[in-house]
Amino acid sequence: MAVAQREDADTALRVAGLCKSFGDLEVLRDVSLAAHEHDVIAILGASGSGKSTLLRCINLLEVPDAGEVHVGGELIRMRRDRRGQAMPADRRQVDRIRARLGMVFQQFNLWSHLTVMQNVIEAPVHVLGLPRREAVDRAHALLEKVGLSDKLDAYPAHLSGGQEQRAAIARALAMEPAVMLFDEPTSALDPELVGEVLKVIRDLAEEGRTMLIVTHEVGFARDVSSRTVFLHEGRIEEEGASRAVLDAPRSPRLKRFLSGERYGTLPLDQSSHNEGRSGP
Amino acid sequence: MLDLRGYGWMLWQGLELTILVGLGAMALALVLGLIGAWGKLSRARAGRWAAGTYTTVIRGVPELLLILLVYYGVPTLIQDIAEGAGYPFIIDINPFVAGVITIGFIYGAFATEVFRGAFLAVPRGQIEAARAHGMGRALTFRRIVMPQMWRFALPGLGNVWMVLIKATALISVIQLEELMRSADIAARATKLPFTFFFVASLFYLGITIVSMVVQRRAEVWANRGVRRA
Repeated sequence: MAVAQREDADTALRVAGLCKSFGDLEVLRDVSLAAHEHDVIAILGASGSGKSTLLRCINLLEVPDAGEVHVGGELIRMRRDRRGQAMPADRRQVDRIRARLGMVFQQFNLWSHLTVMQNVIEAPVHVLGLPRREAVDRAHALLEKVGLSDKLDAYPAHLSGGQEQRAAIARALAMEPAVMLFDEPTSALDPELVGEVLKVIRDLAEEGRTMLIVTHEVGFARDVSSRTVFLHEGRIEEEGASRAVLDAPRSPRLKRFLSGERYGTLPLDQSSHNEGRSGP
Repeated sequence: MLDLRGYGWMLWQGLELTILVGLGAMALALVLGLIGAWGKLSRARAGRWAAGTYTTVIRGVPELLLILLVYYGVPTLIQDIAEGAGYPFIIDINPFVAGVITIGFIYGAFATEVFRGAFLAVPRGQIEAARAHGMGRALTFRRIVMPQMWRFALPGLGNVWMVLIKATALISVIQLEELMRSADIAARATKLPFTFFFVASLFYLGITIVSMVVQRRAEVWANRGVRRA
């Protein structure tokens, strides 16, 4: 059972006692987790273990039933409505905090009516109030970093899945977030496109960015993340330094998970979303 | 060439009036459609109930009947009520205004369904991405949802417009000299019904063809960024 860590000056993100149910299904049971600055935390678990829900509770895309979320020392204030359902007390605070958390989705979710460049400057201009020129400069630098300098004016539908995801990463980075959240960033990609996205994420880790990565890529987690959290049925089953946890797992469930993962359950998780749009 | 016996100008003015009524009614229908769709998709029960009642009632009653009800029925009702309260006065609704309001009201119900479908067709994930980047509800709607709704709404709205412009012929019953009534007057006066009704149909057809061209252009614009199969 994880214990809520004390607040340190360099705690970028902290959740304590997070619970979330969908109807009768308990998805998260008292999950606590802290990310210090420059931490890269991999969140592993089988389908339905609650790992995506955990990530989505952090930026309140799902509203946790109980528990606390602190971002950069600021607690997201919650209240209860008449039926006792938890909800954010101040929507503006939520919007402000979301602007400091960069989210990358499994399905990319680029805005399809906007070009790559427009996708990247949209939120900086309209949420942060950044002057357009500055936002464009920032976008140029980021798109070069993710290798999309030649796709500035392309619409998302004309990109491969790997390019879409790299554009989505640039879009999130353009907000200069304190923490990046990755929700299975490579699960919807054709196998040959996974590498280019992982490389971008690896570069970000090496820059010292604080990141939480929900992933199925165990090898990637071992190489890139400093810590690994293994979720099972909504609880943290095991956590610790990534190499230690992944090379010498203690819990039988993690052992079973890792052996299953190595022997190729992965293709079953491949979404068909991307079929037929992989190549240029 | 068809001999219009000097009634050509009158037909032309009727055409102008038809287009004006049509545009006014369409504008009203768009506004009502957006409000109606918002109501139908609202989390508040009152919003869903109001919008549901609106579309059910409007779509369930013949258009001609609604036009007569608004133009003749409503003023009489108000006058009777006013008289009963001791304030007798005469209400005279301008037939142009009555036409625009009635037609707009009717087709607002159809536009409601079009907008509702279009809203639901915008991928949820893109709305989530907007919220995750710190965009509030209003900003998300304005910057992400609305621009994409047009793409899904345009074919349906084009259809609403085509039906609406033809429905304006119904308001000839309230003495407004739009295209239909002008043609009717000319046909009676000259005893040449084929000539004038034929010319009027050409005019309606002309409006429809121009509309189709405009719609095609608008769809190309709204579909930018969409890969064509």
